[in-house]
Amino acid sequence: MEKSFEDALKELEAIVKELESGNVELDSAIDKYTEAMKLAKYCSEKLNSATEKVNKILTENKELVDFEISD
Amino acid sequence: MQEKYLKISELNTYIKSIFDENPYLNKVYLRGEISNFKNHSRGHLYFTLKDETSRINAVMFYSSAITLKFAPEDGMNVLVEGRISCYPAQGTYQIYVDKMEPDGLGELYVKFEELKEKLSKEGLFLPEHKKPIPRIPKRVGVITAPTGAAIKDIISTIKRRFPICETILFPALVQGKDAAPDIVRQIKEADSGLYDLDVLIVGRGGGSIEDLWAFNEEIVARAIYEAKTPIISAVGHEIDFTIADFVADMRAPTPTGAAEMAVPTTTEINNMLNSYEIRLNEFINNLLHKAKLRIDNITSSYILKNPLSLYELKEQKLDNFMDILNNNILKRLANYKLILNNLKGSYILKNPLSLFESEKEKLIYSEKNLYHNIHNIILKNEHSYEMLLNTLKLVNPLNILAQGYSLVTKENTLIKDSNNLKPKDIVNIKFAKGKVKAEIKEVLNE
Repeated sequence: MEKSFEDALKELEAIVKELESGNVELDSAIDKYTEAMKLAKYCSEKLNSATEKVNKILTENKELVDFEISD
Repeated sequence: MQEKYLKISELNTYIKSIFDENPYLNKVYLRGEISNFKNHSRGHLYFTLKDETSRINAVMFYSSAITLKFAPEDGMNVLVEGRISCYPAQGTYQIYVDKMEPDGLGELYVKFEELKEKLSKEGLFLPEHKKPIPRIPKRVGVITAPTGAAIKDIISTIKRRFPICETILFPALVQGKDAAPDIVRQIKEADSGLYDLDVLIVGRGGGSIEDLWAFNEEIVARAIYEAKTPIISAVGHEIDFTIADFVADMRAPTPTGAAEMAVPTTTEINNMLNSYEIRLNEFINNLLHKAKLRIDNITSSYILKNPLSLYELKEQKLDNFMDILNNNILKRLANYKLILNNLKGSYILKNPLSLFESEKEKLIYSEKNLYHNIHNIILKNEHSYEMLLNTLKLVNPLNILAQGYSLVTKENTLIKDSNNLKPKDIVNIKFAKGKVKAEIKEVLNE
């Protein structure tokens, strides 16, 4: 299953904090750095390439249909 | 002579000053019914406020009257705020009204306070029951009217800030007696788990306290409290507080505010991502820099730069060892040399013949000694021999035979008992001179 944006961001934050705590060995620090940069790229792509989501409204028949706000 | 009688104006002015200086009369809140209402052409309002037994004149000047949100009329119950003073021209006291609003909300207000008190005692407003609002929602549910400013504000705000977020509207009545149950129904629907909502906005746009009343109903408060989805309340304007606001996980001042609380902006998240990337790069550069420093430190060390110095050290050590070794050997050689010289200087080596001479002397002495000893032994033995010979002469059997005895032997065995013989035995008889062979005739018993 694809990682959710929020999960990826949380993971990224956790790695940054862990690295900045200074308790990481050089080898594993480089691995974690690589992983974190991948996560950052993933988040960034997901955030900026996603198309605008359509608004939905729940009908009386409990169906979700597109909903446009009228000006 | 002092005039005893006051002018009316003097009295009324004095009385006015008493009103004006009294702090209790400078701010008065009254509840009453309007009568004799007159809207003067210049915009000032004149009326009487009364209850069952009493009345007071009231005036509301234009500057205050223009802020009214309703049209006052006779028979209307109102709440007013103002000051009491005297109108000297007519010798009457009256209330100068600053603010006025329709009463009848009094009952609702009491209900509001009662419910707030009850739910507060039950702990529905406690901070520990507040669920955190997720920072980055994928899907936001909205419970409000499908028409009107509220939904428009919410959706446009979300689209502007965080377009990748989905919104689902759960349309509900937000006004009137059916509003509260409808809002409850949609909260339960939205919270059913079917829609995977990260956060729920419940609210409506501004209106009168009656308009907003559904959000002060107990069933709505309890539905908000029981929902598992975090709920942001957004009812009316900033100044409007409803029970729903107290019980919600977060209260937004307006629907737009609710949308702002529900979603971040794309820019915020981008900035956050950028800052993480910067921090990561700083971290890794720092790490690599430190690692490089360590390597530099090691490679620039004296030993690695001057590998020969390693040998120099060893060379020196070797020299030291050799010195020690040489010293030992030289000392020993000197020692040996000394011993050798001592030996060389010895009498023996200088006069080796002296060794032989002394040995020769010993030999000669030994020889003499030996000779002497042997001679003694020989003398001794000669004497012993003669003694022994004499003894031997005495015991020689031949000597015995010479005296006339004979030796009888049988098969080389000397016979000393006649019982050892029997007739016909052949025996040899030896005499001092000559031997015979004889046969035994008879053994005689003695």
